[in-house]
Amino acid sequence: MRTFFPVEELARDRRFTRITINDRMSDPRTLGGRSDDAVEGAKPKKKNNNNRLVPSRPDASDAARGLMHGIFVGEIQALEGAGRTCHDFAISNIPGSGPSGADSDPLSGNTVPFALKLDMARQAWDEARHVEMSIKLSNWMGTEIGQFAENTVLFEAACSSDPVFRLAGVNRALEGLAIDVFTTMKDFGDIAGDPYLEFCEDWMLADEVTHVKMGSDWLRRVTENDPDRRKKALEFQNVVDKLFSYSGTRSESEESPIGLARRFRELAGFSDAEVDDIAEVSLAALNERKDSVAQMRAAAAKQLSEQLSGV
Amino acid sequence: MSTVTVAPQEFKFVMFDAELTRRVAEDLVASFDIHRDIQITIDETTPLARISVQIGAGADDPIVVHADSGAFEDTRRPRHQSETATATALGRVLHRAGDRLHGGFGEAPPDDDLTLAQMAAWETYSVGRLERHGIAVHRPRWLYNFRNRHGFSDAGDVAFDALWSSDGLTWGELDSISASAIATSQVASPA
Repeated sequence: MRTFFPVEELARDRRFTRITINDRMSDPRTLGGRSDDAVEGAKPKKKNNNNRLVPSRPDASDAARGLMHGIFVGEIQALEGAGRTCHDFAISNIPGSGPSGADSDPLSGNTVPFALKLDMARQAWDEARHVEMSIKLSNWMGTEIGQFAENTVLFEAACSSDPVFRLAGVNRALEGLAIDVFTTMKDFGDIAGDPYLEFCEDWMLADEVTHVKMGSDWLRRVTENDPDRRKKALEFQNVVDKLFSYSGTRSESEESPIGLARRFRELAGFSDAEVDDIAEVSLAALNERKDSVAQMRAAAAKQLSEQLSGV
Repeated sequence: MSTVTVAPQEFKFVMFDAELTRRVAEDLVASFDIHRDIQITIDETTPLARISVQIGAGADDPIVVHADSGAFEDTRRPRHQSETATATALGRVLHRAGDRLHGGFGEAPPDDDLTLAQMAAWETYSVGRLERHGIAVHRPRWLYNFRNRHGFSDAGDVAFDALWSSDGLTWGELDSISASAIATSQVASPA
């Protein structure tokens, strides 16, 4: 079994359609409300910038279905990532314990403690259970497997040759995002009165908090005597956090569909300062996106008005 | 004979086909026995999936449809158009317009004043008819939407089945089914 599996070769059947992070980032549309000013003759509506995913949103059912499918494919990749980290590195102080009998990663020389591997194995087990739950929840919500495109950036963040980067990028940044997503979906199910959604999301949320806590603990322990490595890993985490704040999908602003779950992040080992940083980065991403889209919207509105008036 | 116009004709944000949209709308209008011109405007600047319809007051005024690009999008291939999604989205609002024009829905509030439950009930009634018209729809998707608005209960599911399988309902009948489902759900699971 080879190490460092390329993202292009992840096993998926023909139901799945893959898009890259570039595909996603190059979509110039914004999650903001309809630009009524762009549509001549459109009935003026009250300004409402609240895009938080709650049942009172007119498109709530479909939005929840889309997010649930995103959780499903995210869980598959989290399973693949945790499994890879469990397999890809030799055990510290045990020569020949790496893949194919190697003492350490041939490129980086990295090894990991055996207990870290056990935690990654436990995480892979959790993620496998989450995949099954997500399939059943998606079915319950009227979604077919593969009905939405799959973005594989989560697995890509799990491909670093340094296990500490994987802990920072996946366990802290992406599993941290999962805390925000599960909290939003749990609240959605609770308000809607869905008998399964709230319960299942709460169950998975507890696992995600544990995964982030494992990442926080191992990051601290493995880099205890290597402050430079820790600093670089945290910088990588910041990059992933920012990447996953694109379009302002997740922030404390109610313009974002997904909120920032401060309390659960605190339980997972994030400091207040770290959560403040993520909140700031997320809000900046939202504002950047809005600014960049405003110009394109104006151009589209002009073009549309010209066509409607027959110019 | 109704005339269908689509704007914009060319898209910058998405890879949509105005001609496909026009053709799909023409098929639906002919099947639904609607005798008004149709103006479809697509807002390609947002991926949201909202779609709305306005019926002009005069007998010769057109039916105007405003759609966010997400309403016609292929969720497997972002920014690309899906013929099925286009037919489903247009079919829902054109059925609603047709109901208002053909009679029996005179007491129905304007679309903007419909409650989420009333809208979900009308959507169920419309999509059920679309399925019988031969358009591929995924019934569980609409059941979930109905449950979100009427409660998760056996009585609610019975109401959904009634709406889905009906033809020729009036607004009073549709609203009564919706209201009964909500009332039964609240009795079944008191707050």
